[in-house]
Order: sequence, then C-alpha cells, then structure tokens
Amino acid sequence: MSRLRDQLRLPGEGDLNLPPETDLQPFEVFIQLQRGKPHAHAGTVDAADAAMALQFAREHFGQDQACVHIWVVPREAMIGTEYDKDVISRLTDRSYKYARGYQVRKRWEQFRSKKDVDQYEKEDLKEFF
Amino acid sequence: MDRITDDLKRPLVDLLLSIADDKFILGHRNADWTGLAPMLEEDIAFSSLAQDEIAHATALYQMAAGILGTTADKLAFRRTPEEYRCATIVEMSDDFNWATAICRNFFCDHFDLLRLERLTNSAYTALAQLAGRLAAEEKIHVDHVDSWMIRLGRGWEPAPARVQAALNELAEIAPTLLEPPPGLEKLEKAGIYPQSRSGLFEPWRDVLHDVVQSAGLTLQLHPPSPSAIGGRQGKHGPGFVTMLDELTEVFRIEPEAAW
Repeated sequence: MSRLRDQLRLPGEGDLNLPPETDLQPFEVFIQLQRGKPHAHAGTVDAADAAMALQFAREHFGQDQACVHIWVVPREAMIGTEYDKDVISRLTDRSYKYARGYQVRKRWEQFRSKKDVDQYEKEDLKEFF
Repeated sequence: MDRITDDLKRPLVDLLLSIADDKFILGHRNADWTGLAPMLEEDIAFSSLAQDEIAHATALYQMAAGILGTTADKLAFRRTPEEYRCATIVEMSDDFNWATAICRNFFCDHFDLLRLERLTNSAYTALAQLAGRLAAEEKIHVDHVDSWMIRLGRGWEPAPARVQAALNELAEIAPTLLEPPPGLEKLEKAGIYPQSRSGLFEPWRDVLHDVVQSAGLTLQLHPPSPSAIGGRQGKHGPGFVTMLDELTEVFRIEPEAAW
C-alpha cells in the first residue's frame, strides 16, 4: 500500500447524498469443505444480487480454508421458526425419542469398514455409542 | 519442449517479465484500496484479487529467475525502472476513483486472460502448464470485473456517467497492453508464444465490447501504433520511478535478508 493513501480525503458525514448501501440485500453463505460432506453456514454477505453475492462469498469465505463448493441464499427466501414463539423440542418428557442407546455398531460394521465407524463415532455420535 | 535454447532465453524472460510486471504493479495499485473500497464485501474481494495478482507475478518471476539464475525477489525488487516491462495502464494511480479502478481492471484482466489462454498452447511445457493454472484463476477476475461493469453501467446516475468517463479516458492508454516485449516474434516462430491469425487486439476488443454493450455503455478502441515505444521496452510514465522507489524501499533496506 502506498503513501498516496495519506493524501486521500475521505468523505465526511453529509458528503454522501445516497445511503451507502441502498440497494443491497443480505445473502446467507454456506460452504462445503469436502465433496459429499454437508454445507455449513459460514456467514452473511450483502450484495446487489445473487451472482455478486456468490463472488463475494468466494473471496470472503472460500480463501482462508480449502473449500470446494458454496451456496448463497437470499435471506428473504429462508423461512424459519421464531425463538420465543415456536416450540421445536417438546417441553414435556420425550427423551425416549432421542437417538441414543441403540446398539448399532455391529450392524454398521456389516456394511462399513471398522475404520469408518471409528471415525464416525469420533466425529458425530461419540456420546451415543 | 522441455528446454529453452540460448537464443530464446532473453525473449522468453522479457515475455515472462512483461506479464509478471503487469500483474505485480497492478496488484500493488489495487492493494491501495484495502480498507477503502466502496463496500465491505468488495473491500475483501478486491484485496483478495490483488493478492492473486502478486501470487501470479511471483510464479512468473520464479520461472524467469530459473532461466536467469537469480531469484524472484531480486527480479521483483532490484531492477532499474528501465528494466521493468509493464504496460503504461497499470502504472498510474487510479486516484481512488472506483470507476477508474474497475475500468482499468476491466481492460487488464481481459487482456491477461487472453494472453494466458494463448500461452496454454505454448510449446514450452512448463509455461503451458503454469499458464493453465493462472488462466483458471484469471477467469475469476474477469467474472468479478465484468459484474461490476454491468452493475455500474446499469445502475443509477452518477454511476453510468462516471464509469463511461473512466472508460473513455482509459481507452486511450489501454492498447499499451498490446505492445510486444522485445524479441516476441522469435517466441512466436518457435511456438513458445503460439501465433494466432488475428493477434490479440481483435479478440480483446470483441470481448470487451460484449460486456460494454451489456452494461449499456460505449467503447472506442484503436489498435496501438506498431512504432510506439512504451513500457514493454522500459519507457515508463513520469510517476513510475516514485512508485517503484516506494514499492522497493523495504527490500532495499536489507537486500540480502531472507523473507
């Protein structure tokens, strides 16, 4: 970066006659680190449209780790629950529905290698096995 | 072809330096926007793309350094101003005018991509392979800058007027990109820089034209005069020496330091 930057006069308050981000909208970004693995929410970018959001997402979330695929979704297209209003987990006891206590290891080993199951246990289901 | 004959070494080095210097200086100029680009997301994107330019320059300097028996750092930082082969358009400051910055990259990125694509067919295998990797990345730059051209051109005033003014101004010096580096005809003959019937001007003009039209703007481009002598032969603009002094000042403090 050069010393030309020192001479730059930045706009003061009141110099801009448009709101700085009038026509931008938020996009949620999901990145995939390996083919076949799930996409994980990485963050948000503001952009004029989807194509530009995808470009921003590539530079913003795709460079600090190896990344193979990116989705961007306009936030307004996402429909969600409300924290205080919508009940998801039941408030009375339904713990029998939780996926724990199953003795599945042998069955898993029938169609997957032991190594895969070990890895799966380590990553995802440790507490349930 | 895996080895370069002695008579082709200097022309090849000049070609590599012309591409590398374009990218090195443009990357340096673009890096000035870090923290200043018009929106946060673009700030990160533009800085990331500026780093690509420096990375591309490094790879090309390394290849040239291998031929000359020197190092990439020495090529980047220890040459005299006349030994730089970059085109005039990458040298000057964009005065922190976003329209100028985008238009400059528009001319340069498209030209770079065409030049790299041509080199993917080089008879010199190492160069063809490197050019393939660089071209794939350069495509990202082209997509990025095209999308800005189109959005600024189709945007609200004053965006279209400002980007049109920048296009008009830069159209005068953009063809300096096409000035051949010394000895290029030897490389063409040897297939190292594969010859094409139309040259680069027409494909470049046509691809720029498509984007400009889609942006609702206009562009008049003229081929460079064959007798013009400019940056590719070491003749640079008035601000070049000052810029280079600043760019190399840290390196010059301790030239033999390991980085």
